[in-house]
Amino acid sequence: MNKKLISYRVPRNLLVLVDLMAIFLLFIHNAENPDKFTLITGVSLVFIIYISNFILLKISSGDHYIFLIVTMLITLGIIMIYRIDPNLGAKQVVWVSAGIVAFFITYVIVKKIKDWDKWLKFYVIASMILFIFTLIFGQRIGGAKNWIKIGRFSFQPSEIIKLLFIFFVASYYTNQKKYNLDKKGGYKLFLVVYGFIGFLFLQKDLGAAAVFYLIFLSIQYVYEEDRKLILYNVFLAFVGALASYFIFDHVKIRIETWIDPWKYIDNKGYQITQSLFAIASGGFFGTGVGLGHPDFIPAVHTDFIFSAICEEMGIFAGIAVMMLFLILVYRGFKIAFSQENLFFRIVAFGISAMFGFQAFIIFGGVIKMIPLTGITLPFISYGGSSMIASFIALGILQVASEELDTEGEEENEQRA
Amino acid sequence: MNKELKRMIRVFTVVCILFVGLIVYLSCFQVFTAPAIKSNSYNKRLWIDEENILRGMIIDRNGKILVYSEKTEESSTRHYNYGSLYGHIIGYSYREYGKAGLEASYNNELLNLKENTTLNELKKIIEPNSEGNTLKLTIDHGIQEKANSLLKGKKGSIVVMNPKTGDIYAMVSQPNFNPSTLREDWKTIVEDPDSPFLNRATNGLYAPGSTFKVITAVASLESSNIDRNYKCTGSTKIDGYILKDYGGKAHGNLNLEEALVKSCNSYFANMGLQVGKEKMGEVSEKFMLNKSVPFDLPVSKSISPYRENIGKTDIAAASIGQGKVLVTPLNMAMVASAIANGGDMVKPILVKEIISPDGHVIKTNYTENISHVTDSFTANEVKNMMVEVVKRGTGKGARIKNVKVAGKTGTAENASGKAHAWFIGFAPADNPKVAISVVLENEGSTGGKSAAPIARDLMLEVLNKILE
Repeated sequence: MNKKLISYRVPRNLLVLVDLMAIFLLFIHNAENPDKFTLITGVSLVFIIYISNFILLKISSGDHYIFLIVTMLITLGIIMIYRIDPNLGAKQVVWVSAGIVAFFITYVIVKKIKDWDKWLKFYVIASMILFIFTLIFGQRIGGAKNWIKIGRFSFQPSEIIKLLFIFFVASYYTNQKKYNLDKKGGYKLFLVVYGFIGFLFLQKDLGAAAVFYLIFLSIQYVYEEDRKLILYNVFLAFVGALASYFIFDHVKIRIETWIDPWKYIDNKGYQITQSLFAIASGGFFGTGVGLGHPDFIPAVHTDFIFSAICEEMGIFAGIAVMMLFLILVYRGFKIAFSQENLFFRIVAFGISAMFGFQAFIIFGGVIKMIPLTGITLPFISYGGSSMIASFIALGILQVASEELDTEGEEENEQRA
Repeated sequence: MNKELKRMIRVFTVVCILFVGLIVYLSCFQVFTAPAIKSNSYNKRLWIDEENILRGMIIDRNGKILVYSEKTEESSTRHYNYGSLYGHIIGYSYREYGKAGLEASYNNELLNLKENTTLNELKKIIEPNSEGNTLKLTIDHGIQEKANSLLKGKKGSIVVMNPKTGDIYAMVSQPNFNPSTLREDWKTIVEDPDSPFLNRATNGLYAPGSTFKVITAVASLESSNIDRNYKCTGSTKIDGYILKDYGGKAHGNLNLEEALVKSCNSYFANMGLQVGKEKMGEVSEKFMLNKSVPFDLPVSKSISPYRENIGKTDIAAASIGQGKVLVTPLNMAMVASAIANGGDMVKPILVKEIISPDGHVIKTNYTENISHVTDSFTANEVKNMMVEVVKRGTGKGARIKNVKVAGKTGTAENASGKAHAWFIGFAPADNPKVAISVVLENEGSTGGKSAAPIARDLMLEVLNKILE
């Protein structure tokens, strides 16, 4: 036991080492006025991460890697955010703590309740209420009208809706035979899904719309029995995307600044060009934490956090972050492969796809490989809603990684 | 289950491909696109150092301060002591207009910036450098001023250099601009049809006119089986095109020396044809035409058309410095230097030393041979002919009492209007200390009349001043 506490073979100890080095770096960067603040933030971060990995090991018999991967991502994110703005960094530590608490609560609740797949209508109605709420009371933060403010706090309902959406699609496909008795179930599903995407369009939240669509397409591709529906789906999305380019100005702007941002460097292309400057300045090994100028990019702590990582830690660190996400997706898919319960199989698959596509869309956006759409990078970007929602998703994935009693499954089969 | 698994793996494969795509794209971006993007003047990182570091001074060869920066509250101001006199050499450094001249090409040295490595960045934190390096030029302020005053009110360029060391004593281009009042003048300058921003000395491309005959003469002397005697009738017919001598004057029986002294067009046109495209191309390229001249400022390539598929008329025209051949004034000063230096062309030098803030010389630019244009025997022969040109030929305007001056005049017809007046030369011929090229754009008179006297005054100034 004592040996395990200091062994480098235990991944969480390696993580602590990375954390300590990073905090030391931040500390000497601020060498002229050493502050307790950095120390407290750092120590509490190390503590939280260490303890929660430890607890998880004790209570869950499932996959222990996904949480480790995520804590690595969290560490990188907090170091970067702290370096950009110490106040935000400290707040992010609070959000991470809240997220981890949410993770454990989710873990317990999701495990306790058995019939998640029977609540299809609830998922749809709850989502619609949240959507309508956002449309009426929504605040515009950074171009998209997708925030609700309650008292001092503001949160982004679409982060929660994303999970409801996965549950909804999973419930449908778990009981596909039941809902598709009249052969029209697939079309009804279409209607609802496109309703979701339509709401996101109205909020100008194009990134989220793309993530929703890709999650749906992936699940549909694996589970839809009526294969021609998949073709319809692709075709519809293609036509819709083309039409929206001509109808909506905000779509057009994204495309134009993607094709040639340099032409609009003074206005609408400003953000993306600043991001490219940052990545270009970092080179392969980065300028070193605290030595670059990622603060020149607007919204660097949320959507453009990846550019900041590339500038100060180099694109090697950037590629490492991408690989971490890929491993996370891989573990998620593996969890889905080995889960006996159909509903949790689909949910695990959907959540993994969500992490993968969301990361891809924002990575691709800030490096100008695909048009830029403002979404957060899960576990790394600053922000409470994104952090908590991502941790809830991770909690669900954690449950799915365990061998669940197959009671629900059997019931299903009996009904079918 | 089996089908389901297969499909899931396919989706995972797609995700993998997307991520590999990201990594490849990012790596390619870093290797190929990033270097160009980084230097975009909208990149604020480029200007961060500017605010923290006092830009270095620029001084002339005798230590006279030409430019310096002064720290004021919050920012620093750059003082260009002599305004437009050094506009083209020193250039400018403005956030909104970017950088030009030495301010651009020696930016890193002036700001004392090192390669952007992590180690250097860390060093910067431990001992922040607050002052840039000083550039010591080869320019002599007195000569530069004299050259500028001689060119005042005209369009054109003067380059004065040491033919043996490559030191540029003066480099003037008119019209010019004042870097200290750039904000007020920008619009006028940009719209001026005479393009004051163009550094004519390094980037102006002119037909060299008869000054090119020096090159043709070298090519002729290097060729065997050539008839160097010719009877001039005042014009010559090549491929049906009639090429006339200046004023249609018939020069009679000529050898190479007499032809150069009288600057006979028919003689050199026929000589160019006799020597042939191949040899003319080879020799002109030895004189750095078609080549990039290594220099502290960007230099345009002079153009020699002989390698192209051109006809007899063009070959003949190029051999007397007309038609498709185009040169920079700096290049012609180097041509004169090469003859003066016994056939060895040295690299022109503008920045002699880089001096650190604590007074140490960090870097010295030493003399370097960049081209062996011809053997010393041929160079000497051409030199003697050029001495005759000044003594009794078209270059009489450049004569200096008690000093043997060598030179060649040129009057270049061109498409832009009146003829350009040219003079290239060096002095003293036996032990050359100064080489010069003068071009007066659209002057309308001959090189002998207008350019040669300017060259004479400047050479005299140098010989009186510089006693090395």
